[in-house]
Amino acid sequence: MTDPDLLTRYNYDEFVPAKFGPWLNFAASPPLGGLAPDFPLWHLDGSETSLAAIWSHHTYTIVEFGSFT
Amino acid sequence: MNALAERFSERGVGSIFLYTHEAHPGENYPHLTSREQKFRHARALRDTLGVMRPILVDALDGACHRAYSSMPNMSWIFTQSGVPVYKSDWTDPHSLENAVEYFLGVIERRRSGERLAPFRVERLDFRHQDQAAFYKGLERNGPKAVREFRAAFG
Repeated sequence: MTDPDLLTRYNYDEFVPAKFGPWLNFAASPPLGGLAPDFPLWHLDGSETSLAAIWSHHTYTIVEFGSFT
Repeated sequence: MNALAERFSERGVGSIFLYTHEAHPGENYPHLTSREQKFRHARALRDTLGVMRPILVDALDGACHRAYSSMPNMSWIFTQSGVPVYKSDWTDPHSLENAVEYFLGVIERRRSGERLAPFRVERLDFRHQDQAAFYKGLERNGPKAVREFRAAFG
């Protein structure tokens, strides 16, 4: 079941508590020590990869989440 | 973070930037409405802000970002088998450096025959706050981003 408003809510158009607040869920993040969830990701040239493919290349991998803004 | 990534790359540690959503949308970098726009903003992160690590782009609905708690600038460290060993609700190079050095040390200790068992720890780290640089970033996004941040936090 998909949420038709998800794209709009996730990509909120203004930085107001009612819109950004619900996304701050660090306390509910995956626990350390277990297998992490994997997701598809894309290189800047559009080619597809995955988070698992990325972390499998190195002894350890640092992943910083963020954006231009 | 670029310098940290370069220094640790020689020791088998990878480092990427995962592009999520616009935390402080403004006139110059508005909220995302298409995959093409998301890639355009991600390229600006490299070309304008100088992020030299590989930049990977999440789905437009933030599937990966949301699964990891959707904090705006968090960092995680994963082992090669996909086990997270560090997570931080904000990105700080000093905290990451400290953690990576520790985990690389774990490998050395095991190689030397030490028997090690994992345990959980919580720690409150401290990051440098550069308000001037932060506001400069908001201004780069557009006046709307500055107004909204001031309205939210004073």
